[in-house]
Amino acid sequence: MEDKGLFGKILAILPGLAVMIGTLYVLRMYVEPWMKDAVVFGRKGWLVQVMSLNYILLSIITGMVYRNILFGGAIPGWAEEGFRTTRLFIKTGVIMLGSLYTFDKLLKVGGVAITLIVAFVFGSVIFVLWLGKRMGADRSVTAAMAAACGVCGVSAAVATAPGVRAKPVDLAMAIATILGFGIMTMFISPFIGKALSLSDYQFGAWVGTGILNSGQVLATCLAFNPVFAPGTAVAYGEIWNVVRVICIPFVVFFITAWYWKGEAEAEHVSLSSVLASKFPIFVIGFVGMTALSSLHVLGAEGSETLQLMREVMAWIFGIGLVGLGAYIDVREIKAAGGIPLRIGLIAGATKYVLALIIILAFIPKEGAF
Amino acid sequence: MKILLALDDRPRAVEEALRLARERGAILNALFVVDATWERFTGHDWLSGCNARIGFLDYMLTLEEKAAAEAAKAYLAKAAGAPGELLTVTGDVVGEILKEAANGYDLVVMSNPFTRGLEIMRDAVAKVVRKCPCDVYLVAEQDRVKL
Repeated sequence: MEDKGLFGKILAILPGLAVMIGTLYVLRMYVEPWMKDAVVFGRKGWLVQVMSLNYILLSIITGMVYRNILFGGAIPGWAEEGFRTTRLFIKTGVIMLGSLYTFDKLLKVGGVAITLIVAFVFGSVIFVLWLGKRMGADRSVTAAMAAACGVCGVSAAVATAPGVRAKPVDLAMAIATILGFGIMTMFISPFIGKALSLSDYQFGAWVGTGILNSGQVLATCLAFNPVFAPGTAVAYGEIWNVVRVICIPFVVFFITAWYWKGEAEAEHVSLSSVLASKFPIFVIGFVGMTALSSLHVLGAEGSETLQLMREVMAWIFGIGLVGLGAYIDVREIKAAGGIPLRIGLIAGATKYVLALIIILAFIPKEGAF
Repeated sequence: MKILLALDDRPRAVEEALRLARERGAILNALFVVDATWERFTGHDWLSGCNARIGFLDYMLTLEEKAAAEAAKAYLAKAAGAPGELLTVTGDVVGEILKEAANGYDLVVMSNPFTRGLEIMRDAVAKVVRKCPCDVYLVAEQDRVKL
């Protein structure tokens, strides 16, 4: 492969990055303010208040329009390197989200989050393993779907696939199913949350528990309430998200061990090697940022530093989500089918609805911070 | 006459391409594309760490290379003695078929639906038919019932 050198690499990133930044600039500076004032069905701000359209959802939708309509199904070569920075933007944003908390605040909701997440993650995994067996599914498909439905969607499927010898066809179907289900829940959840008058705490806890993909948890929370501050939906949802992310290596270990237990040629699986290869390092950055916040290094609530950080976070997430949308191919999602689709729909819908029932029954409207 | 056979895991397209080549005294080149688009396919996955992602992509590449070896073995067993060669390239499946088709071929033969790599999730046939510089012969999965 041609080595472009550092300068060449930076140059290659610029066109795609400029599209992402320019898109967000137009959405935040012109489209969102226009939507707030636009009168639709005789009501001012209908698009924002009823449709829950804000720059976050618009970023994803615009990215999807680029990919599926403007670019004709694939990100063009000139923009590819720039759009590849999507992951960097979202991970940076998540690390910065750590500044919304202090350790004492985390302790207040951490117990509830850990209890709900562990119950739902391992409950879903066991449910899918049972469902797969009942449907007569191949063990490797069942294992990949158990990871995807149990913990962080596509990321968990990707982490589990090599260990359970997942087949490409099944994996492609599983990823399309999980992504499609996640996108659907991302668009309908804010409506449901508002219709049921859920508080930010309840909403963050619900989507953090019930939505399969972590990226969609973030986007859904921000669609419900686009404010970055302690006590908002994204602040609560991200606690749930981080607990889930930490669960990934344990889920991968559990499922891989289950898979090899049923195979004739057993392969040794060790938790330490799974932890070393699958632990998401950015979680350490998130905790580091919370440590800085707890030590008041970032200033008190309302300080200029924190306000600036939150504004930067809004831009970083917005840019990242334009890129995320551009990686969603509607035709690929429509091709989902077979057993992965059936397992994904049953398990995903059960988890989503059950999480809502539990939240309504046990989580108070008032948040811990 | 020069024919290009785009290989996937369906044997019928191979049989049809060999029949056509024999009937017309054509050179038949078979093309197997190792699908290198898994990174793009999972581009929306922002969460996975480098190790998990690299492990996954290496695993998919291993499976693709295994599929290439199996396809080559199956093709060569059927096409022994036929004029032409087996080409194996890595890249975007449709892009590589179109690139090769531009090298003076008269006909491209491929399965419909085309099931190589991630093309099971995409409409490779439509893209090839739309952009191919020569005629395209589509081979159905099974013999149609003759009325």
